Amino acid sequence: MKSTIRTEHLSRTFGRTLAVAGVNLVVPEGAIYALVGANGAGKTTLIKLLMNIFRPTAGSAQILGVDSQRLAGRAFERIGYVSENQELPDGMTAGGMMDYFRAFYPTWDRALEKELVRQFDLPLGRKLKHLSRGMKMKASFASSLAYRPALIVLDEPFSGLDPLVRDELIECLLDRAPETTILLSSHDLAEIESFASHVGFLEQGNLLFSEEMSVLSERFREVTVTLPNPATLPANMPATWLQPQAADCVVRFVLNSYKQHTSEREIAELFPAARDITFDPMSLRSIFLAIARSNRSGATSAGNPVTSQEKEA
Amino acid sequence: MKQILHIFVKDVRQFWGEIFLSVAITAAFVWYFPYQWTGADRMHAVMGNHLLVPYTAQFLGSILIYLVPGSWWLFVTRVVHSERLVGDRQFWLTRPYEWKNLLSAKLLFVLVFLYLPIFAAQCMLLAEAGFQPFSYIPGLLYSLFLLTVVIVLPIFALATVTSNFARMTLTLLAAVVGVLCLGSFSSRLLPRHPVVAGLPESAVFSYSILLCAGIAAVLIQYSRRKVWIARILVFGTPALFIMAAPVLARLSNDQALIDRHYPTLANQDAAPVKLSVFPFSPGEREFVTNMMQGEIFVHIPLKGTGVADGYAVIPDNVRFAFETPDGYQWVSPWQPSSTPTFLPIGSAGDSAIFMPRAVYDRLIGKPITVHLTLAVTQAKVSNVTRIPLSIHDFSVPDFGVCSPVSGFRTPIDEATGIVCRSALRQPPLTYIGVVWSNTSCSTPHTEPDPGVQGAGWAGSLDRAPAQFGISSVRQTNFQLSNGYPNYPSGNPRYLCPGSPVTFTQYDVFRRTQVALTIQGFQLAAVRNSWPSD
Repeated sequence: MKSTIRTEHLSRTFGRTLAVAGVNLVVPEGAIYALVGANGAGKTTLIKLLMNIFRPTAGSAQILGVDSQRLAGRAFERIGYVSENQELPDGMTAGGMMDYFRAFYPTWDRALEKELVRQFDLPLGRKLKHLSRGMKMKASFASSLAYRPALIVLDEPFSGLDPLVRDELIECLLDRAPETTILLSSHDLAEIESFASHVGFLEQGNLLFSEEMSVLSERFREVTVTLPNPATLPANMPATWLQPQAADCVVRFVLNSYKQHTSEREIAELFPAARDITFDPMSLRSIFLAIARSNRSGATSAGNPVTSQEKEA
Repeated sequence: MKQILHIFVKDVRQFWGEIFLSVAITAAFVWYFPYQWTGADRMHAVMGNHLLVPYTAQFLGSILIYLVPGSWWLFVTRVVHSERLVGDRQFWLTRPYEWKNLLSAKLLFVLVFLYLPIFAAQCMLLAEAGFQPFSYIPGLLYSLFLLTVVIVLPIFALATVTSNFARMTLTLLAAVVGVLCLGSFSSRLLPRHPVVAGLPESAVFSYSILLCAGIAAVLIQYSRRKVWIARILVFGTPALFIMAAPVLARLSNDQALIDRHYPTLANQDAAPVKLSVFPFSPGEREFVTNMMQGEIFVHIPLKGTGVADGYAVIPDNVRFAFETPDGYQWVSPWQPSSTPTFLPIGSAGDSAIFMPRAVYDRLIGKPITVHLTLAVTQAKVSNVTRIPLSIHDFSVPDFGVCSPVSGFRTPIDEATGIVCRSALRQPPLTYIGVVWSNTSCSTPHTEPDPGVQGAGWAGSLDRAPAQFGISSVRQTNFQLSNGYPNYPSGNPRYLCPGSPVTFTQYDVFRRTQVALTIQGFQLAAVRNSWPSD
């Protein structure tokens, strides 16, 4: 599959702090790629490296076939970038901003612009500095989508927005999804889960895994083993078990390499006296928390038995 | 081009207030600045019976000359910061801006709303001062170049390395304080060094360094946004420049500099001036020494004779060598000279030099042999203009426009001096001769009044097409001798309408060194007061 974004050992340090550590990332064309991670994980830095706002300390990145360090000028005619922290030309009205940006893009679609303005109910006559945060974000979205970019990059686009605005923005994004590739970073795992096609997990600058949502959902299971007697954890637990706990007659853990028949047979063999073994699918949020907690407790390979990313790379 | 104009139009819409303010200040400057030219004509025309009117106008003119660059600072900073180059959150970073177009749009803005108004203002001031602006186009362009190097480019470059107006203001203040501190340190490091008058090379070199650093910083910021490299260029270059100048001067051989620009004459008989010690009447004057900032200031009165007709000799730098009978020798570095210009009629004046206290202590009380060397510029008369004094403005070819000066309560036809204004730069070095009347011009004379000769120097040997300044008109004030006999108690003399005024202009003829040896010289005790003439 063609990739819209491809990075190789992309790194960035700020002084002695390693913000992005040799990230190999592939965002396939047409994907809605969600980059998730805790605060300070390096999501924004990674996105700014991709957008040539920061320059990498090492490694490289290709965006729409262009080296990220050469990404400037006309290359941005095909990229829409929206960030929660982005400054807008506050002295302009929303309409003035649209008028101003229109001249920069040969592919600007006036009909789409009108549709977006109507959809977002943008007050065109009001200055941007007088708009609410949600309205500013809508204006930013509208000005970044109206030229039908081939790549839309969104850095924490829903942060701090009320649910109504979030839904409006997501709906708008999904409308554009068939004709574009979307990379977004977010804390809002529940909402991402509903529409992301791919997900990458960033932890302390390292990309712990990067794969399709369906594969990820299939790979993670919350396993509950019910035993007849008070349980103890096996001495030689596999590294694929995250957050193992034993309480009374129950053993619980997150399995990060679930394969339907193989995994069920293996665990049944480990607990021959088990009265019941369940393999529950997990939400993205539960997976995210399990991996994050496991990493913090020292299991560094928690999320990464194998990644589709590595397969592609 | 389309993108350049698009960004330009956006900036005009956004900053029309700043543009209006700047243009209004420039217009007010053009209106009020001419009141600085205190010719009798103008003063009497505007004064009437109200002294306040001209004083207020003059005050406004003197304030506006600072407000004009102040307004530039405001709007250049604002327009650069509207697409600021420091930071990682600006909207334009991820929009299809071509950096060359962005920079061009900003430069177009500066061209239209800074250079065009100030160019027009300078033309109007020239016209108001009595000059034909179109005769001075090269000088006007050079003046804009100087404004660019000294004001516009530094503001522009500072704006590219700062993120907002407040930071820019603080940075500017810090830069001013830094330059003053470095300048002070630098001047302590090398308080005096020889200066070669009328030599443009050093100024051109300084301007070139500053220009290159400023342009490099702006280009680096717009093309690569390498903030720290640009900041080092913007702040480091002037700092290095200020610090390096005295260090290099100290390391360099000032004798070699003087020998290069003031070659010694093989035959001292052909020296442009013969020096001798001014013969004092006993008890009238003495070789005077003063303390100044820990150094001893030694005066030696000199007389210069033998200056050929049609020439003047200007002492630029001086060096002393002192020798005592016991073999101790101290040779001063070359220092700028304050000795007055020598003319064919013969003239006298002090030659003075700074000496370390320790050297003075070694020399005091001993008979000393002094070898004094002056590095002089011999100037040759290039043009003489005789004009009868008018009560109105009068034009002096190749010099400027002059006006008689009279007091507020003095009739317009009783001038007590002359002021002149010149276009873009000080006029060429000129010796101005007048004839003072001992009595009021309106007094009927029973006998012809022979008058008293008065003279003064104006202008400089510097031949650059323009000097740095917001105004295109320079006012030349010069002191004419003998105007106030028995000052301050006596009555002034007057310049009456029709009395001849002679403007003798000089050009550099050659530069050389002249020497004088004084035997049996003795240093005087240190005095705390300055000698009186």
